[in-house]
Order: sequence, then C-alpha cells, then structure tokens
Amino acid sequence: MATLFVMQGRDKGKRFDVRTEALTMGRDGTNRIQLNDSEISRRHAEVLRSDNGIRLTDLNSSNGTFVNTEKIDVRLLKNGDRVQVGRTLLLFTDADDRSSVNLAHDVNIVGLGEIEGSRIVRTVGHDSGSQLFQPPDMAESPWLARARSNLQIMYRTALAVSHTLDIDQLLGRIVDLIFEWVESDRGCIMLVDHETGELTPAASRNRKGVRADDRISISRTILDYVMQHKEGVLTSDARDDERWNSEGSIVRLGVREAICVPMQGRYGIVGVIYIDTYTPPSAAIQQRTFSNSSNKFSEEHLKLMVAIGHQAALAVEDTSYYSAMLQAERLAVMGQTIATLSHHIKNILQGIRGGSYLIEEGLKGDDNDVVRRGWRIVDKNQERISNLVMDMLTFSKPREPDLCLADLNETLSDVVELMQARAGEAAVQLVFEPRRDLPQFCFDPELLHRAVLNVVTNAIDACEKRAGARVEVTTEFATGDQFVHIVVADNGEGIAPEDIPRIFSVFESRKGSRGTGLGLPVSQKIIREHGGEIRVESTLGAGSRFYLELPSQLSPPTASRDTLGPNATLGSEAFE
Amino acid sequence: MSQSSRLSPCVLIVEPSAEEREVLRTSLERRGMRIWEAAEAKAGLELARLHEPDVIVLDLETQHAEDEQVQFEYGSQAVADARPALIILGRACRTIALPKDQVIAKPYHYGPLIHKIEQLAAKAA
Repeated sequence: MATLFVMQGRDKGKRFDVRTEALTMGRDGTNRIQLNDSEISRRHAEVLRSDNGIRLTDLNSSNGTFVNTEKIDVRLLKNGDRVQVGRTLLLFTDADDRSSVNLAHDVNIVGLGEIEGSRIVRTVGHDSGSQLFQPPDMAESPWLARARSNLQIMYRTALAVSHTLDIDQLLGRIVDLIFEWVESDRGCIMLVDHETGELTPAASRNRKGVRADDRISISRTILDYVMQHKEGVLTSDARDDERWNSEGSIVRLGVREAICVPMQGRYGIVGVIYIDTYTPPSAAIQQRTFSNSSNKFSEEHLKLMVAIGHQAALAVEDTSYYSAMLQAERLAVMGQTIATLSHHIKNILQGIRGGSYLIEEGLKGDDNDVVRRGWRIVDKNQERISNLVMDMLTFSKPREPDLCLADLNETLSDVVELMQARAGEAAVQLVFEPRRDLPQFCFDPELLHRAVLNVVTNAIDACEKRAGARVEVTTEFATGDQFVHIVVADNGEGIAPEDIPRIFSVFESRKGSRGTGLGLPVSQKIIREHGGEIRVESTLGAGSRFYLELPSQLSPPTASRDTLGPNATLGSEAFE
Repeated sequence: MSQSSRLSPCVLIVEPSAEEREVLRTSLERRGMRIWEAAEAKAGLELARLHEPDVIVLDLETQHAEDEQVQFEYGSQAVADARPALIILGRACRTIALPKDQVIAKPYHYGPLIHKIEQLAAKAA
C-alpha cells in the first residue's frame, strides 16, 4: 500500500492511502487529500497510480509542487520521496515499491568451499575494529592523527544522535558534543520553523565559567549567508581588521570568533549551528606573540562543524519523522478508543432510556407488569455501565493484586450465582461443579471475580438460545500442582481458529453491539498479574473451553509497619 | 386490499437489541398495533414481504443493514406506494432518500419515536 504521510504542516500526522483511483490534493473540501494550508491552491496536485508507479502531477498550482526540494510538473514518486506543497511536507512510502522487492532473490548463501578459490585471508575481531576510533597516537603523522580524530568525532556523533525521539534531548546532546570537541564558549542550534520559515533558537549552552546571562547575538547577515549559500562560515572580528595592527585596540576589545554552519539534511536545511569563542585582550596578545595568530578556530574546525551539522540535520529529520509517526499512531489509537467507548455508552444510554420509558408507560397505565419490565431493563443497563467502567479501570492501569488466602470455590460460586439470572434469560443452563477438597489459595478475590465473570458472560452469550445450551464452571487441582485451573466450558458456536489469536486483543469483539471488546483482555490482564495465564480450546460449532491457570504457590505480602494502615497497632516492643 | 388496511396498524421492528425491540413492542402494542420483529435485516425483508406492514423501523446497526443492496430493497419497498413508511434509526444513508424526520439519530428518546410511528401508521391506514 502506498501512502502519503503529513510530516509538517497543520495536518501533521494525517495519512492518506493512495489506491487505484486518482486523488487530488488541495485546500478545497472536494479533494480526497484536503490540506489545511493557505499557501496551497484549491486544487493543487494530483496523485495517480499508473502502470509505472505512483505519478504526482502539479495542477498549475500558484506556489508549485516540489519533490525532494525540486519543483516538478509531473514526477513518478519513489519510496521515501518528500512532497512539499505550500508549508505542508508529506512523506511518500510505498510498500510495493519494485526497487525493494527482489533484492533477496539475488543473494545465495553458499558454503565456503562452493566458491572456487575462495578462502579467508584475514580476520579482524570487534576489538580491532574499534581501535580505529581510539584517540590518535601522538607518534603518527599529524595528517593521519587529525583524520583519525575527526573520524572518531563523527563516529561518536553518529552514536550520540541515534536512539532518541526527543528533539530537545537530541539537540542538547549535539551541543554537548560540540563543546567536547571544539573549544567554544557559547553555542546554539536554531531550527527552521515550519510555519514561519524563520530560524528559531532551539538549544543553547554556555561553557562553564562563561556568564549565563551573556546573550548570544548573531549577525543576520551571517545567518542569511549560511542559509542561502548552504555553506559554513568562520568569522573573526580581529582577522582582517585594520585595528589588528594597533595592539591598543586588542587591549581594549579582545577577539570574538564564531563558526556558523548549516544543518543540511537530505532534502533541505533544517537549521544552523552557531558557536563562538572570546579571547580576552591579554590572552589574545600573548597568543599572537607566540603563534603569530590570535585565533582559536581554524578551517579544520569549520570543516568538522559542517560535517557535524550534516549529521545533526539527518538526526533531526529522523527524529521529527518518528515523532510525527508516533503522534499519528497515538491519535489514531485515542480516536479508536473514544469511538468504541462512546458507542458502548450510547447503547447503554439507549437501554436506560428504553427502560425508563416503559416504567413511565406502566405508571401512566397503572400496569405493574410494564413497570417491572422497564425496571429490569434499567437495572441490566446499570449493571452494564458498571461493568464497562470497572473493565476500563482494570485495563487502564497496572495493579498489583491484593493477595490474601481465600476460598476459590466461594469466589466462583458468587460469580455463578450472580450470572444465573442472565443465563436464565438467555435460556442457558449455568452450572458450577467445584472440586470439593480444594485448599485455600492466595489470590485477589475481587480481581479474580471480575476475570471469571467476563469469561462466564462470554460463554453465556456464545451459546444463547441454542438448543441444550450449557455453561459449566469447574475447578481442577491436584496436591503438588503448580497451578489451579478454573475451567469455563460452553457448548456454543465456538471460535474459528483464525479468530482465536485476536480474542484477547482490546476492542476486538465478535458480539456486535453487545460486546465491549474489553472483557477477555481484562481477564487475561488479571490472570497475568497473578502470574498465571489464560488459554482457550475451541471447536467451531461445538463450543469452547477457557482455562484460567492460577499459580497455587502465591503467598500474601508480609505486613510491615509501612504497609499497615493508620489505625493498625504494633506490639508495644516495636515502639521501645 | 392489504392486511394492514383491514386490521389494526402493523409495524415491523428490525432491531438487533432485544431490549429495544421489547420497549417498542410493549409501547406500540399498548397503542393497539400489531408488531413483527426481526433481529437481522434480511429476515426483516422477508417479514416485510409476507406481512406488508404499515411502518418499518430499521436500525442501521442490525446485521446486513449496512449492505447497500439490502438498503436498496428496503428503500424500494418504502417508495412503491408510500407504504410501508420507513423510519431509520442511526444516520441518513445515501441509498435511501427519506424525509429528515424519518431518520432518527441514536441515542433517541422513545416518546417522539413512538409518536412518529403512530403518525405514519395513521397516514398509511
């Protein structure tokens, strides 16, 4: 499936599937890809699947359509292309991209002896490889030492900027690294604001000892130069300064040097990195006396900073992309959750309204039977909303079971008793056949009640109105067993093998409007929180058996002073 | 002459929720109407052909009710001679053109719905 994913712009996070039909892109509501961007035309561009691939065509838009910063009229899109329309940037991905399909077919893995004349000439272990990045040996040539040092810096930069989805953290790391390698006093990173196109400060640092309130002033001319020419610049207010000849001016002013480099990404400049250093008058004169130069920054520093800027830009692009993807996923999940829950609540509300209406009808006509029927519906829906809320609470947060020694049969008996009325309405025979000599176990009775209740509810629904419908709850345990089994068996419709992996997924329900899709996930969560597991065996058309396995060796937490409540008392010796 | 013109008004309820069917059936029977019920849209169509109801109440959440062909058949039944009148519970659908007051969004209040059914049944009779 080919998609266009909005990475920047007001629609950030939206995803548009590119199917067989032509899709137009624009700000008008008639476009399938409608973008809230005042800088794009009403009908801006068209995306069409052709025999050769996905074709993007500009529809004579006012501000143009760009692919990877290049203005286009018509272009076949490739996986990873970035489409810019107005201020909106979209990433094109195509899972069916032919360029990545058959690569594996060209590779055969064969034994060493199968390639004539092939032999291992030399081996290098992991340790030897990493020696390349060790600090340079002072004895080797200055050129090689410098090259190795730069390679080490780039290697460490690449490592440092990976594995983060937090853009602030990423920028902070980059500035820290620059301070480690370049003797600068102050540094800052400015990123291009996608809304305004302006550079905005995103991270800054002062070297220890440099006054934090010393604001960085950066020449607009330098920034414009760097952005327009995509080149790094090295500036000094002493170099080429006629005043330099007069040592008197150095005594007064000192020397301020700066490096400003573009953050050149794959498809454009994402920002700039600026660093500067200040040499006080006395040090500048001393430095000039010994080295004939008053400068700390050299061309070598500039080249290194350009390389770091490029590496940092790639990382910023990746981080922005993954953050946008993550945000889109979050929004999608949140939207689905809200929609699903709203639907269930709406159905429950409908039931309550119906029951209330019947009560009103019965009262008006003095018909107690109608009142009773109305009340039963209200009561049932009250129970449904209560169960929904409890399931939502149980599912939404991790909870340590409140373990205590309890009678498992008693908990199960409570569930069966509670469900008898519902089973009766559904014409289902609900039976409990406990193992009589079951010892007491450690579990959370309240949570386990909910876990079993959900499974029994499902079992009743599964065989509702079937001839001879029966749900059986049993317990299985033998002395020495690691687990006690609660078995809920029904002779209902059963579950298709392909559906079984999905039944414990949240919001996956096969019960239509009756199911919330929370019951089994909640049961699974509770049993797992006890250290157990829930599994199912099912035959389509014949019924299902759910096994709730509960560890038999759990022990209750030992009470300590911390865990006792405010009214608990300890032995007097505890206070002595 | 259809059955409905000879007897008391007949209403077909096509609704997946047993509770909602019960509320509608009880309320309408108390008003002297005859009720047919279906929990599934295709079964509802069969009942409609068989009993020629005066009013059909179709919940779009009923199984198969989202099927365009099924919607078309309900729509064509309703349009043929303005009877049965159709009420849709849910939202407007493209396949069936209905007056706005015959499309009732959920969650709805039963009072106005019952009143609307009574009106349409009286008109059909």
